[in-house]
Amino acid sequence: MLIDHAVALTEARSHVAALADRARSIAASSAYEHVLFELDWLHDDDVPALDTTGLPHDRGMLLAVATAAIERLIGHGIDALRIELVLAALDGAWDLDAT
Amino acid sequence: MYGESAGRLRAELGVLLSQHRVQLRIGGGGTHTVPVTTTTEDRRQIGEQVRRYRQSALVWCHQGTVAVAPAAVSALVRAPTNPFLAASEPHGALHAMQRTLAHTVRTSTAALPTLDELTTPQALPLVESWRQVARAAALGEHDFTASLGQGRLDSRQQRTVIGDISAVVRALVVLDQRYTRIPGWEKLSHADRLGWGALACALDASLDPPDYSVDLRGWHPPSKLITGPAKPGLLGVLQAQHNLVLRMRTFPNVLNLRLVVDSQRLVSGSLAKLVQPVEPDLAMKWSAREQTYKTLQQELRNVAGNIGRGNLAVAEGSTTVSRATALKPDAELDPRALHGLDKLFDRLDNRIADVIEDGVRRNTYVARVSVPELAADSGRMIAGLAEQHVPFSASDRLDLSELIKSCLRPSASPLAPPDAARSRAELHAAIVHRPRGRDNSIEM
Repeated sequence: MLIDHAVALTEARSHVAALADRARSIAASSAYEHVLFELDWLHDDDVPALDTTGLPHDRGMLLAVATAAIERLIGHGIDALRIELVLAALDGAWDLDAT
Repeated sequence: MYGESAGRLRAELGVLLSQHRVQLRIGGGGTHTVPVTTTTEDRRQIGEQVRRYRQSALVWCHQGTVAVAPAAVSALVRAPTNPFLAASEPHGALHAMQRTLAHTVRTSTAALPTLDELTTPQALPLVESWRQVARAAALGEHDFTASLGQGRLDSRQQRTVIGDISAVVRALVVLDQRYTRIPGWEKLSHADRLGWGALACALDASLDPPDYSVDLRGWHPPSKLITGPAKPGLLGVLQAQHNLVLRMRTFPNVLNLRLVVDSQRLVSGSLAKLVQPVEPDLAMKWSAREQTYKTLQQELRNVAGNIGRGNLAVAEGSTTVSRATALKPDAELDPRALHGLDKLFDRLDNRIADVIEDGVRRNTYVARVSVPELAADSGRMIAGLAEQHVPFSASDRLDLSELIKSCLRPSASPLAPPDAARSRAELHAAIVHRPRGRDNSIEM
């Protein structure tokens, strides 16, 4: 895994994990956890640790950064369709969190 | 289970010890008011049958001493100051009783009862009680190989088992003396030595308070999956959770473990809300469990490990979640089902704690490493990450052991069955039982 790939993946995982921790309901938190699980599964569980420093407080900002980081993974050999599925799962979790 | 088989053995021996005029009970003479209904030959055959059943109880006692003896330490021996050294002195009284039991079993001319003899009910109540003794002893032999032998018991549990064996030996010695007038009766070889050995072991065992939790150990029938269509309501959740506990026998990889943990967080949360009006204490316990699993889930995000499976456990966990979340607020909550669910939660918590501890110890589960650690001289054109995973022993970021100790493991040690002490007290009372005379005085 190249450093750029690792940085994008860490960014995506850390922000999704932060969304899971700040979710308003258990169901929404679980949905974010499943997004995190999908990301790890895409990489055969060979991923770097979370980086919890400097995360924004605003949940909308967390979602935007996570989405951008996940989209960046397409450039590192990850199948674009699977990335779209992860993004759809992330949107689903966000909707669940908003209700 | 040891408690069931040994309890049955004690109960039937207690019944036998309360019966004093043995000749009358097997149809012989003894009083002019009761007619003789059996011939001497009949009574001789009854005696032989009883001795075959007794042989089974003697073998149980001997096997018990063999299982416990290697790690048993007498309460009279002072423990070595170095905790890593085993006690140098063997348990003298136990070894003496073991040798005498081996001699008694070997020299007895009675064979072990056949399967037909064990399973066919006897017409005479006295012989039927002996059959029950032999059945309990035959079943109890499972327990010594399952989880009672080979140093698996702590010292108090060992002494409890030794005390139980001593009581059974003493009962057999007392009964042996009482049956001497049965035609053709063969007395126990070295019965006096057996009696003294058993007394010495019983006194030694009584120096420490007993630990009756040993009754819960021993052989258990294997649990089976509850297959078939989903049970209605809470029973369906119980069914899926039971299956999940069984599926978790397989060691899971970290991804699947995370999904199981997620399922338990969701199930605990939804059921805690549901039972809040009827069982507030249980609701509080399950809410705490939800928090435990939330913390565990956060910790496991930084744990990796591809070794293991656990797919079937994930499927059962998912079924549990879907059934628990589908329960309506007015669903019928049977207290027995709630209690069963609580037990299953405890068992699963224990299993997950075992899995994590095993994984960490064997480095099957490793800690993830943060990104900015580049290999400066990896010999490749492009610098990659130096290390992506490290063993937990080399990582100071994660401390799962504290979480496991404080939250996942139920704090209380397993409790003894409620009638454990009573069963033993009854046998001891029966050993010294004396019949009452006509004027209500005790015969000596």
